[in-house]
Amino acid sequence: MMTAKKIYLQPNSVHEALSITNSFENDFRFLAGGTDVMVNRFQGNETSSCLIDLSGISELKHIKKVGSYLSIGSLIGLNDLKNHSEITDEFPVLIEAANAVGSPLIRKSATIGGNILCENRCVFYNQSEWWRDAVGFCLKCEGNICIATGSKKHCYSEFVSDTAPALISMDALIEIIDKEGERKIKLEDIFTGDGVHSRNLSRTSIIKSILLPLNQKFLSVFNKLRLRESMDFTSLTAVVSADKNGKVKIVLGGVDPKPVIVEGSNKSDREELIKQALKKSRAINNEIFSRNYRREMIRTFLKRSFAEIF
Amino acid sequence: MKVIKIQVNNKYHELLIDEHETLVHVLREKIGLTGTKIGCEQGSCGACTVLVNDEPVLSCITPAMRCDHTEITTIEGIAQNGELHLLQKNFVDKGAIQCGFCTPGMVMTSLDFVKKNPHASVDEIKEALSGNLCRCTGYKKIIEAVAETIHPQNKSNDGNKIKSSVSGIIGVGHPYIEATKKVQGIAEYADDIRVKNVLHCKFLRSPFPHAIIESIDTSLARQLEGVKYILTGNELPEKFGVLPISQDETALAIDKVRYIGEIVAAVAAETDELAQAACRLIKVKYKPLKPFFEIDESLNDIGQNEKIHPHTKFNNNIHKKAEIRFGNQEEGLQHAAFRSKMSFEFEGVSHAFTEPHAATAYWDENGLTIYTATQVPHYLHRALAKVLKIPLSKVRVIKPYVGGGFGGKSDPFPHEFIVSWLAMKTGRPVKVRYSREEVFLCNHGRHPSKMSLEIGADQNGYLKVLDAEIAIDGGAYGSFGVVTTYYNGVLLQAPYAIENFGFRTYRVYTNKPQSGAMRGHGAVNSRFASESLIDDLAHQMKMDPCVLRLKNFMPSNTLTVGQYRITSNGSRESLMKVMEQSQWEKRYGKLPLGQGLGVGCGFFISGSALPIIRNELPQSVVHLKVDFDGRVLLSSGASDIGQGSDTMLAMIVAEVLGISMEKVFVLAADTLLTPVDLGSYSSRVTFMAGNAAKMAAENLRIEIVNAVSTTKEVPADELNFSSDKVFTNDNKVDLTWIEAIDIATANRGAITVSGKYISPKLGGDFKGSGAGLSPSYSFGAVVAEVKVDIETGLVKILNIWGAHDCGKAINPLAVEGQLEGSWHMGMGQALSEQLRYYNGLLLNGNFLDYKIPTSLDTPPIHSNIIETIDPEGPFGAKECGEGALHPVIPAIANAVFDAVGVRITRLPISPEDILQKMKNNSLSFVKVDSN
Repeated sequence: MMTAKKIYLQPNSVHEALSITNSFENDFRFLAGGTDVMVNRFQGNETSSCLIDLSGISELKHIKKVGSYLSIGSLIGLNDLKNHSEITDEFPVLIEAANAVGSPLIRKSATIGGNILCENRCVFYNQSEWWRDAVGFCLKCEGNICIATGSKKHCYSEFVSDTAPALISMDALIEIIDKEGERKIKLEDIFTGDGVHSRNLSRTSIIKSILLPLNQKFLSVFNKLRLRESMDFTSLTAVVSADKNGKVKIVLGGVDPKPVIVEGSNKSDREELIKQALKKSRAINNEIFSRNYRREMIRTFLKRSFAEIF
Repeated sequence: MKVIKIQVNNKYHELLIDEHETLVHVLREKIGLTGTKIGCEQGSCGACTVLVNDEPVLSCITPAMRCDHTEITTIEGIAQNGELHLLQKNFVDKGAIQCGFCTPGMVMTSLDFVKKNPHASVDEIKEALSGNLCRCTGYKKIIEAVAETIHPQNKSNDGNKIKSSVSGIIGVGHPYIEATKKVQGIAEYADDIRVKNVLHCKFLRSPFPHAIIESIDTSLARQLEGVKYILTGNELPEKFGVLPISQDETALAIDKVRYIGEIVAAVAAETDELAQAACRLIKVKYKPLKPFFEIDESLNDIGQNEKIHPHTKFNNNIHKKAEIRFGNQEEGLQHAAFRSKMSFEFEGVSHAFTEPHAATAYWDENGLTIYTATQVPHYLHRALAKVLKIPLSKVRVIKPYVGGGFGGKSDPFPHEFIVSWLAMKTGRPVKVRYSREEVFLCNHGRHPSKMSLEIGADQNGYLKVLDAEIAIDGGAYGSFGVVTTYYNGVLLQAPYAIENFGFRTYRVYTNKPQSGAMRGHGAVNSRFASESLIDDLAHQMKMDPCVLRLKNFMPSNTLTVGQYRITSNGSRESLMKVMEQSQWEKRYGKLPLGQGLGVGCGFFISGSALPIIRNELPQSVVHLKVDFDGRVLLSSGASDIGQGSDTMLAMIVAEVLGISMEKVFVLAADTLLTPVDLGSYSSRVTFMAGNAAKMAAENLRIEIVNAVSTTKEVPADELNFSSDKVFTNDNKVDLTWIEAIDIATANRGAITVSGKYISPKLGGDFKGSGAGLSPSYSFGAVVAEVKVDIETGLVKILNIWGAHDCGKAINPLAVEGQLEGSWHMGMGQALSEQLRYYNGLLLNGNFLDYKIPTSLDTPPIHSNIIETIDPEGPFGAKECGEGALHPVIPAIANAVFDAVGVRITRLPISPEDILQKMKNNSLSFVKVDSN
């Protein structure tokens, strides 16, 4: 029987990880906590022959101040964030967001870097291979039609990270390293809005760290819509953060292939902010809550957030 | 392949593994530590939790390679030198273990938590356990076990303490006799059975809901090395079905497929992966037919060729119609001072037991042996003989420990025939384990239903009339559906006395996985409807809904309109109890907007009085054997699926003989070794097998009495059996148990006795009079308190107060567990569970999207056992495993009405629906606002 060769590598440094990739063209996948990738593998949505397990790379496990930023290593576990006073003191909303991810067991393995890069989801995609074959493969698994909308062009799988909206609302940057070298970009800039290729990072990219600006005195509110109080992926994550200068940043997850971002200030017309958020959100009927309901909840969550912040 | 070195439970292993193998696979298949369970393979149930370097991980999504050079602890490594860990001991003592399938994962998660959080609160415990699903317990006793470990109370509460004294066994809480095995991961479930040289079986399933199979080409798959047999439908043409009147299913689809997921071909191969790969190589040509997905579509008249099953007698896809009427509904409605009529819709729900179906079959000189996760070994025994065309005497069905059933393992299943056949054809043992997706595709869950009910009462609040029109969606095959069709109607004739009662029900076939029997079988949805209508009537009359119910309860010792013989009846006591506990009178209707109390009542059979297959056999037989060692061997066909029937049987026998539980050994559910019991369905086991065990024990007692009274020359009626002794009050005879047995077995050897249960003849002689007949009935009530977020429509249950009349709690610890599990399952159907389809394709066949409530979604549950001492139940006992589910769902919906004035007519309750209805309502609903 023909079986693809299965390889599992555990590099000890970022450098080593990157150099390994040379041997595998695109047939490899980085693994951090693995809680997302391993499930996608079980369902046959992730089929790389080579898994490169980054979890042993200690240089990705730091939390330290770098200039005016707090640098959080991408391999910091979601469950470990709360053990760092630098985070609990200045960015408590990140803890709240991390605690809203999956279940306690998932959070013990999952990492912040992995959660940021959590694959987009759709009820027509996160299914077994047999299932996707039965329904007819969709755009996101190399088919030619979006089952949810009938569109031939666009995939609306949902961006579902809970921590990324919190980070983006606080103007987080990320440090990325790939074969071209290192660069620092705004976290929100990696998301494309295309459900199929939801991020513009190359396959060899590794997030080294997440940078959060210090001393901004963020006031943030986090809300997540889900049917159960544990386990469930988000149907709408809404984070609103205001900094010390009165700048307000709204970030929504779960209602678009990418994070929906609206910026304003504490002087802005709140109804106007809500309208903008609604306008940008391209939620479709592809999960347990209807599109209409989720849109209505955008309004509800934002109103609640504003009431708490202002 | 790579070599890893791991230390598992302090034992060093060097293993050659596939580089992408998961840790759970290595532990179970390479090392043989099967205590770690596979429940979902996607990290969403927690059954596979183990410790890696002292940190809990989900071993189903952990690459084994990552664990190279680590220390791993599995459930088998927790007890030390035969001593249970304190946490394990508390799991056992508190009754935290039912089916035991989630237990290993639950213990591992808790163990880590207890160690790191020595002062944790109950809320923190609930949070910590919220990644481990349990379907049996409602988490209550698990949380108690963890809390007890953190804050030992050292006091006996609610009589739950295990009693070491031998007297008074009945009525004292006993942990399950097998609990210590389950808590150590030693208990073997179907997938844990290891036989040599086994082949693995996988299935090719239909991607079409309704299609002709034009051809199946297996040639490519056959060429794969290691593939031993490829089976298609024609080899097993004999039809089966759990009911003799619905023999409409074959082991594999023949000529046509009727739902997406139906088995079209099966492969036996040397490995799982090979079998799977072979399935992919099988090419099937289908010609699609018009599918039917909704009840309404299946009611339409169509041509013979379009029908899902050609054998049905109507010109549509109706499978079964039932109609029974008593009194005159039309007249009753005309004369009713108050009337309420509403339509309801219910999505299908699934049993969602944590253990996937699994079976291993082999043949030897004795014929077929199959180990399988089943609730009905006897019916499976018969069905295997029929389908495989072999004598009944060549079939042996063995039920190992079963990880929950709830009705979902109470049919004979295609995979059971297939592995049996493949084992015969290949001459090798064949095993199968369903993936979680396959479990959901197999379904047999609660029927999706649509119904319209009307109810009427007179000026004084006496219910005069109830009329129901009900349609249920049976999916592609019959299963228990004919019974379900009747139960939806007939089980509404109590607990309220309503003279003008009638119903009409249809069951339709659709091109979806079949519906069947699920906990509370048949009457859960119609009970929801009727309890909602009663609530509405009370609202119209401005009468307290509890008062209205109390007015209308039928008494004990009466006949219903349909001639059910009601004996013991604890409706009133149950309702009064939950009213009192919830401070109903003080709080109902007076809580602030968004908060509410609601009530519901229930009624259920305690064992179907009629066997499924009409014959003259007793419904249950129990054998006892006692030999020179004084140990009593109890053999019974009853199937313990986690509800505790083995323990119940042992308790009854120990009680009658006055001996300690340790002297009773239970051998159950092996159709070669144990006498027939019909199985775990219709809440029959305690009543029927319990009575058979009691009779057997009494017969054994007579044997011992006769021997002792003759030998010792004392009158037979002066002998007492208690505290492991046989004695007279004047101590003239004062024998230890073993001395008594010496006397009884002298010149005779082992004594064997038998006991049986046969239902009395019951019921009227009209068509359908047999439906719902039971030697006894259970009753119950629930008050729910909810909080509705008026901006999101999300409902949170704050409290459940439940009371259930179980006649007599033989084992109160187990009864509470059954009640709490039932209420919990009801909460799931009320708020979060539903099987969702897209053109006949199940959308949520996994534990992430099929939403069983987690520990965090579960409110405090206040359990009350009501005892009414049934005249015919063993020691007065009747059912407690299903009926309790009925009242909880309407109680929750009625509480939503009290909270926000919205009447729920669809399940699950949707927040969107609530918001919409609140908008439409806003003028008419006025509530005291909180200050």
